Amino acid sequence: MRGPMADTAESMMALALKRFRRHRLAIAGAVVLAVLASLAATAPLIATILGLDWEAVDLLNRFAPSSAAHPLGTDELGRDLFIRLLYGGRISLLVGLTATVVAALIGTAIGLLAGFYGGRLDALLMRFTDSVIALPLLPLLIVLAAVDLDKLGLPPSLVQSQYVSLYRIIAIVALVGWTTVARLVRGAALTIRERDFVLSARGYGAGGFRIMTVHILPNLISPVIVATTLSVGNVILLESVLSFLGLGIQPPIPSWGNLLTNAQELIWTAPGLAMWPGMLIFITVIALNFLGDGLQDALDPKATD
Amino acid sequence: MSRFLLHRLLQSLVVLFLMSFVIYWLMGLMPGDPIDLMISADPKITSEDAARLRALYGLDKPITERYLNWLGAAVGGDFGFSRLYAKPVPEALLPALANTVRLLGITLFLSLLIGLPAGMAAAIRPYSKTDYTINLLAFAGISLPAFWLALLLIIVFSVFLGVLPAGGVAALGGDGFWDQAKYLVLPVANLTIASVGGHTRYMRAAMIEALRQDYIRTARAKGAGPARVVLGHALRNALIPVVTIVSLDFGFLFSGALITETVFAYPGMGKLIFDAIMGNDYNLALVALLFVTLLILIGNLLADLAYAWLDPRISYR
Amino acid sequence: MSGTPVLEVRDLCKRFPVGGKGPFADKSWLNVVNAVSFRLDKGETLALVGESGGGKTTLARAAAMLQPPTSGSVRFEGREITGLDNRSLKPLRRRIQMIFQDPYGSLNPRLPVGAIIAEPLLVHGLGDKAERRQKAIRLAEQVGLKAGDMSRYPHQFSGGQRQRIAIARAIALQPCLIIADEPVSALDVSIQGQVLNLLRDLRDSRGLTYLFISHDLAVVRHFADRVAVMYLGRIVETAAAETLFDAPRHPYTRALIAAQPVIGRGKRMAADCLPGDPPSPLDPPSGCPFHPRCPLAEARCRESKPELEGEGGHRAACHVVNGGGT
Repeated sequence: MRGPMADTAESMMALALKRFRRHRLAIAGAVVLAVLASLAATAPLIATILGLDWEAVDLLNRFAPSSAAHPLGTDELGRDLFIRLLYGGRISLLVGLTATVVAALIGTAIGLLAGFYGGRLDALLMRFTDSVIALPLLPLLIVLAAVDLDKLGLPPSLVQSQYVSLYRIIAIVALVGWTTVARLVRGAALTIRERDFVLSARGYGAGGFRIMTVHILPNLISPVIVATTLSVGNVILLESVLSFLGLGIQPPIPSWGNLLTNAQELIWTAPGLAMWPGMLIFITVIALNFLGDGLQDALDPKATD
Repeated sequence: MSRFLLHRLLQSLVVLFLMSFVIYWLMGLMPGDPIDLMISADPKITSEDAARLRALYGLDKPITERYLNWLGAAVGGDFGFSRLYAKPVPEALLPALANTVRLLGITLFLSLLIGLPAGMAAAIRPYSKTDYTINLLAFAGISLPAFWLALLLIIVFSVFLGVLPAGGVAALGGDGFWDQAKYLVLPVANLTIASVGGHTRYMRAAMIEALRQDYIRTARAKGAGPARVVLGHALRNALIPVVTIVSLDFGFLFSGALITETVFAYPGMGKLIFDAIMGNDYNLALVALLFVTLLILIGNLLADLAYAWLDPRISYR
Repeated sequence: MSGTPVLEVRDLCKRFPVGGKGPFADKSWLNVVNAVSFRLDKGETLALVGESGGGKTTLARAAAMLQPPTSGSVRFEGREITGLDNRSLKPLRRRIQMIFQDPYGSLNPRLPVGAIIAEPLLVHGLGDKAERRQKAIRLAEQVGLKAGDMSRYPHQFSGGQRQRIAIARAIALQPCLIIADEPVSALDVSIQGQVLNLLRDLRDSRGLTYLFISHDLAVVRHFADRVAVMYLGRIVETAAAETLFDAPRHPYTRALIAAQPVIGRGKRMAADCLPGDPPSPLDPPSGCPFHPRCPLAEARCRESKPELEGEGGHRAACHVVNGGGT
């Protein structure tokens, strides 16, 4: 028997915040991500201030060690590594975030439909989800990344765009990355649709779309946020590995992954080049995982305090 | 039980069938078809010759017809010819498969050997110093980009220390255990570090859940010591989800193998698939991809069986 | 009684599949509501009583077309409403509203109270935003809430206040029939009276008709005009409230009344005073479903099902009290 509820909205938020604050690692993760994101966002400004250009080739100054002019040294074409890292971060973070959000939207839509309508549609969508989960992910992504877009009948204006590798990677990651969210949302929707407030909404004639968007979706948003946070890290790893294999973001656009491609070839001459891009990927992903873990604990209704 | 198994088997076959069509279709979208490759290799071929060749190989036919032809041949045991290896596809595939099985087998053994006890140690006293440290390390392992770790291992052990080879496998006739084994050390280390974090986290979560159950409290109340509670009562129940997840995780492990094999030039299935795709060897890529899909589906099926076998409460009618 | 009844239910059955899903599974059926008939006239309050698990809630939801009945007929204001699709039901939904037992579960926790009360108006496209807001405030004031409560969220209210919110939402569309499923049983006893009084005031001022479900006979006695007693998915006795409590006929009704605590507020359930547990609805007894627990059971009770019989609106389904030989 639940007694009269004394707590207010503020106190519920406060409780979640309190649980979150206990996670010192999650807070550290949030701070690190904020710093990285603002550095990446202001990369052009920083470049102007330092008087550096991410594209400027300086063949007389190849493999330079770190100096006042080049904080982290230069690469095999004499380009400044620090600025290239910042620009690469822009791409990697942007791709990671966009692809995850697109994937989460697809997953939420599929999960909501399956969980709300149930029955045959549910069975069909979930068999489909199981099948996608059973696929060998990375090899399949490599195939998708290698597909000739001309043969797919896409408009040439898109295929020849210099950002096509960006769009492509977002699309293919979203295409396979929605399964976790779909299963999560479906499970939650199955429970929520049996709650009395959903029944009551049907009782006054609310339609399926309204029930899904107004009554079910807002009540399952916290697990989706947690899963999305945790999967941004995975997506960044995927993007970087595909770019590293030469199938993701194409040079001259720098990304953390493709900065490492050259580093592998130069591993005997300049082993130091492999250090920074990988370190940044690692830091970003671990920060995201800590943040996601902390959010999970903070938003978990079962968590005891 | 058998009815359930039949249902799942049918389902897996359908997935495999659909997958074979999708991959076949995707292969057709790869840049350059076999005739284009011939033209680029031999400038004397005219466009009329090319058209004739296309008709000869059936490349002018619609995709479904070509697919059905391929499927018919494949069911009859003819998987085509690998362009890259210049031998029939199965002959190119089998040595690579053996190499990958060796790599994944050793890795899985080591990863579970480290991960399961570590997860248990963390779960026994959640939020303690031990738990905190193990968690931190596990998260670090999960978050490490495997290809970068591979580069670091090469830099340290091959470039600076020069004690281990940066890649490849032992030359033919390279005898002696160490000659063979030294090529496995870095790939195994890389893949183990990449997967042990996940195994630790699974075990920790499953163990915490198992220790939360009422019968554990009962056992404790009856005076069973901590070791007895953990090993005698909770472990079996904690292992159920872990076994399932490990079997379901085969696809993830294979993705890791692809990265590791590619960076270390280790001639396994992962590198073979990557090379086949990049080298326009579509027969080989197609069969290899389907073969890996088949293995993953079998893994999922085994996960279901293991679940049923370990958990007496589950019956699959 | 004359004129078209507001709600007329005939031979309503609702069963659920039990057992596995999928093409290979064996299915069996759970008959939750079994050939139930009743009518409800304008302005009348009919109470459905009985132990939990007796099919009251399922009957209510089937009558409101929230879970379509398996068979039988439901007529609302003379019009057959079974088999209608959602589009055709929508105008009827304005006229039938439900109030649920658990005021913690029946309000969407993510919507502020104003939006909850105004939502039915929004769904039916009534008024513009400002008008709906005004209307929601008026409704809230009618059920005893304050205009300032509009922007607060459900969890900031007590159980009784939440039930008032649910009532405001239910009357927003000016329905003629309200199906109230145990509307006060989740509330503290001190609050129950206030909410019942509110429901009664609304009945008088708006001419509402109630289908009122409860397992608490004390509540029913003071609130209902007529009572129908349900056991294992069937109506076993129905009569005017006064008659039923003064002269119950069916042995199950008698047991329910006898099980009521007389003094004090001990929450003693009826089942305590009946021998045995209610039988499993998956495997119902032969003949009269009540015979395994009935003190009056005879041989014929095991063999044939009694019909609901009686005069002057007081009818019971029992071989023994209806008298007569076989």
